[in-house]
Amino acid sequence: MADTAQDQSLVQVKGLKKYFPITQGIIFQRKVADVKAVDGLDFEIRKGETLGLVGESGCGKSTTGRAILQLYRPSAGDVFFKGKDLVKLQGEELRKMRRHMQMIFQDPYASLNPRMTVGDIIGEPLEVHNIAKGKEKKERVQELLQIVGLNPYFVNRYPHEFSGGQRQRIGVARALAVNPDFIVCDEPISALDVSIQAQIINLLEELQEKFHLTYLFIAHDLSVVRHISDRVAVMYLGKIVELTDRNALYKSPLHPYTKALMSAVPIPDPVIEEKRERIILVGDVPSPVRPPSGCHFHTRCPIVMDVCKKDDPAFRDVGGDHWVACHAV
Amino acid sequence: MGTLLQVKDLRTEFHTQDGVVHAVNGVTFHVDEGETLGLVGESGCGKSVSVLSVMRLIPQPPGKIPAGEVMFQGRDLLKVDDEEIRSVRGNKIAMVFQDPMTSLNPVLTINTQISESLELHLGMTKEQARKRAIELLKMVGIPEAEGRIDDYPHQFSGGMRQRVMIAMALSCSPQLLIADEPTTALDVTIQAQIIDIVKRLKRELGMAIIWITHDLGIIAGLADRINVMYAGFVIESASNKEIFANPLHPYTLGLLGSIPRLDAALKSKLTPIEGLPPDLIEMPKGCPFYDRCRHRTEKCANENPPLDLGAVRHWVACWNWQDVQKARSKQ
Amino acid sequence: MATLAASLPTQTRARSPQMWLLRRILTNPPAALGALVILLMLFAAIFAPLIAPYPYDQQNLDYIEKGPSAAHWFGTDGLGRDMFSRIVWGARSAVFVIVMVTAVSLALGVPLGAIAGYFGGWADTIIMRAADILFAFPGMLFVFFIAATIKPGIINWAREIGLSDLARTGYLDYAVVIIALGVIGWAGLARMIRAQVMTIKEREFVIGARATGVPAWRVILRHILPNAITPIIVAMSMGLGDIALSEGYLSFLGIGLQPPAPSWGNIIAENAGRYWRRFPEMIWLVFIPGLVLAAIVFAFNFFGDGLNEALNPEIVD
Repeated sequence: MADTAQDQSLVQVKGLKKYFPITQGIIFQRKVADVKAVDGLDFEIRKGETLGLVGESGCGKSTTGRAILQLYRPSAGDVFFKGKDLVKLQGEELRKMRRHMQMIFQDPYASLNPRMTVGDIIGEPLEVHNIAKGKEKKERVQELLQIVGLNPYFVNRYPHEFSGGQRQRIGVARALAVNPDFIVCDEPISALDVSIQAQIINLLEELQEKFHLTYLFIAHDLSVVRHISDRVAVMYLGKIVELTDRNALYKSPLHPYTKALMSAVPIPDPVIEEKRERIILVGDVPSPVRPPSGCHFHTRCPIVMDVCKKDDPAFRDVGGDHWVACHAV
Repeated sequence: MGTLLQVKDLRTEFHTQDGVVHAVNGVTFHVDEGETLGLVGESGCGKSVSVLSVMRLIPQPPGKIPAGEVMFQGRDLLKVDDEEIRSVRGNKIAMVFQDPMTSLNPVLTINTQISESLELHLGMTKEQARKRAIELLKMVGIPEAEGRIDDYPHQFSGGMRQRVMIAMALSCSPQLLIADEPTTALDVTIQAQIIDIVKRLKRELGMAIIWITHDLGIIAGLADRINVMYAGFVIESASNKEIFANPLHPYTLGLLGSIPRLDAALKSKLTPIEGLPPDLIEMPKGCPFYDRCRHRTEKCANENPPLDLGAVRHWVACWNWQDVQKARSKQ
Repeated sequence: MATLAASLPTQTRARSPQMWLLRRILTNPPAALGALVILLMLFAAIFAPLIAPYPYDQQNLDYIEKGPSAAHWFGTDGLGRDMFSRIVWGARSAVFVIVMVTAVSLALGVPLGAIAGYFGGWADTIIMRAADILFAFPGMLFVFFIAATIKPGIINWAREIGLSDLARTGYLDYAVVIIALGVIGWAGLARMIRAQVMTIKEREFVIGARATGVPAWRVILRHILPNAITPIIVAMSMGLGDIALSEGYLSFLGIGLQPPAPSWGNIIAENAGRYWRRFPEMIWLVFIPGLVLAAIVFAFNFFGDGLNEALNPEIVD
C-alpha cells in the first residue's frame, strides 16, 4: 500500500514485531519464552490524518506506539519516517529525529516530572534541541501555555498544583514545543473525567488543524477513536485485524472481532440500547506468550472454521482501502 | 412495587488536615423493590461515598455522617447497632466493587471465600456451602465450576474474578445489590459479558440494583431510573428514557454533549463542559454548578436550587430548567 | 482557542514541603531527640577551639587521673589531658570522617549505581558483580588490609619524595580511613540507586523525556536522580552513625587515627589499654567517650527513622 501512496504517507510500518523476553535465573539468565506484544504489523500513517489504534488491554497497542517512536527498539521490522528507517538510526541521529515526532501519555499524573516546574518541563525540549534559550525560551513556553489553554502565568508552578485535565494540557504543550509533524497520543484521555475528556479531544483537534499535525491515536474506547480518527485500525493480540475509514468501519465492519467489539460498546441512548443485538464473546483474551495457532482470534470467534486454526489469515485490501485479516471475508 | 430503601437528607463529610471535605451534601433517593437505579456522576461527585455511607462502610474518623436517615425494612441503618448492620451487609444488601483483585483475599481459595458468608449468614454446613458455591459459580457463567472452586484468585482473569465477586454478592440472595463501577477496570467485551450476566440474574432473582457508574452508555442499557450526581448533590432524577430524551439540568446536558457516540453520523464537534467541579472543602453558597453553567443567573449564585423542580416525575435541581429545555429544543 | 475556565488556577492548598517535613520530624520525639544530638555534635565540631577549655594535647602532669570536677568536667587522663576538650575535638574528627566518607561513597556510588540501573547490560553486570564482591568480603578486613599493607608503603613513599612532614601529621591516617570506608560504602549505595533508577526509568515522565529527545545523561541527572533521592537520604542518614562507629573501631584497633589526634575510638583504646588492670578505677575515661559514640549512633538511627516516616506518610497514616 505504501507504493501507491508514497507521496502522502508520513510513517510506514513494515513487519513490525516487538517481543519481550521472559528470562529465568539470576546470574546466568536464559530466555524461556517471549511475550509477543506486537507480532507483525504493516500499515502506514498518512500526512495530516489521525489514525486510530483501538484494542483491549494487552493487545499491544501501546507497545506499537512506543516501538514506532523507538522508545522500545523493535525485535523485527522497519519504521520509515521522513524517508529514514528509524529502526536503523542510533544515538545522536535518532535523538535529533525526535524533534519531529512526539508523544502524549495516558496518565497526566505520572507523565510529568513532579520535581520540575511547568516552565522547565515545556522548555526542556526547546533546550535539548537547541531551539531556544533564556528569554526566548521563556516567551515560547508562555506562548505554548496559551496555545493549550492555560494561563501563561503558570510557568513557575509544579505539576501537583494542577488538575488532571490541566496536566494533560501541559503534556500537550511539551509535545508541541518542538513543532513536531507527528504525535503518538497514547490513551490521552482515558484517565480523565468525562466532562474533561471532551475538552482535551477538542484541543487535540484544534491543534491538528492549526499546526497540520499527524496523529496516531491509541485508545481502548471505540467511540472516542471513531470520533477523532480518519481511519481506524483494530488490534487483537499483537496483530491488526482490520483497518479502514472510520465510517466504513462503523457501517460495514468485516472482521468478526470488530463486529463484537462494536456491539459491546454501549451507546448512551436507552431506546437504541433496548433494540441492539449484542455479540457476546466467550472467554478471555489468550496470553500473548502462547498466542493461538493460525488466526489469533479463532478461540473466541463465533464463525470459526477449520482453516482458522491452521493458517494465519493475510492482512489484505478487500477493496476501497478496507484492510482485513480474516479467512471468512 | 414497594420501596425497599429510602435515603433521606444524607450527609457525609471527611475531616482532613486541609479542612472538612463535604462529600455528600444532603442526598435523598429511594430504590423500589426489583428496580435498577443508576447513580451517575464523575469522580468526586459523591456517588460511591453515598452508598458506602448507606452500608456504614465509611471509615470513622476521618469520615462522619452528621445527618441523614437510611430506612431499610422498617429500620434506620444509620442508627442500628454494629451487629445488626453486619447481619444486613452481605446478606440483605450486597456489594460488588470496581477492583475485583483487591476485594478478594489472595491467600484463600474461592470456595473458602464464598462459603464463609453462607456458613455465617445462612448457617449452612461445609458440604452444603460448597455445593451452593458451585451452583453460584455456574450461575455467573464460570466454566467447569467444580474444577475451579478450589483455585485461588490469581488463577482467574479480571473478568472471571468479577464474576466470582458477583457470585459472592449473590450468595445470600440479597434484596439489594450495590454495584460500584464493577466494569470500569474491564475491557469492553468483558464488560458486555458482565452486564449480560447481571441483567439475566436480575430477571431470574428479582433483586433491586444500585449501579454506580460514570459511563452514561452503560447506564442507558441497564437502569430503570437514573440519579445524576454532582459535587455531593443529586441534581437530576427521572426514568432512564426521560433523562436521555429530555435532560433538564445543564450538567446532564453537558455530559451528554461531551461524550462521543459510536453511532454519530458526522465528525461532529463535542461540546465540553468548561472548567472544573467545585472544591468540596470550600463549597459555593449557591448552585455548585454555577461556575461552569451556561444558563446561570444571579439567583443561582446565591441560592442552591433544591431537587424538587422540573416536570412530571422528573426532578431537577436547577432554577432555570425551563430555559435549558427551551435552548435544547431550539438546537 | 484558549478555553477560559481551564486557565483558572486550581484550588490546591500546597504548603512548603520543607516546613511540612520539619514539622513532622519535630513532632516525633525520638527523631527530634536524634536531631538535637546531631546538632550538638555538629556544633561541637565546628566550634571545638572555642568550646574546648584546653588544647586537646595539652598535658598537665601535675593533674593526672583526676575525676570530673569544675575545671575538668570529664576529668583528666593519664597524661593530664582534659577529657572534655579531647571529646569535643573528637567530634571534629568524627564529623570530618563522616562527611568525607559520605562524599567518597556518593562520588562512587551515585554514578556507578545510576549507570548500572539506567543502561543495564554489561555495565550493570560488571558494576554489580564488583559490588557483590565487596559485600561478600568482610568490610573491616578490607580496611585492615589497606591499613596494614598499603599505608606503610604510602608513608615510605611520602618520605622519599620529601614529604616526611605529611607522613608525621596524621593527615595520612585520615586519608586511609576515609578512602577505606568510602570504598566499602559505595557498594550499598550503588545497589540502592540502581534499584531506584530501574523503577523510575519505567515511569511515564522519564519515557516522556526520552520521547522528547532529552539525552541520556540529562534524563539521569534531571529526571531520574531527583526522584530517587528520598529513600537514599533516609538510608544514608541511618548509615552516618555506622561510619562514626567504624571510625571508632578502626581507631580503637590502632589502625585509624593515631594519638595524639583525638578520636573517640582512640581515646577509648588508649585508656582501656592503660587502665583495664585497675578496673573499675578511672572508668569514666572509657565510659564517657563510649557513651558519646553510642549516643551518636542512636541519634542517627532515630533521626533516619523519623525522616523515613515523615517522607513516607503511608507508614503512619
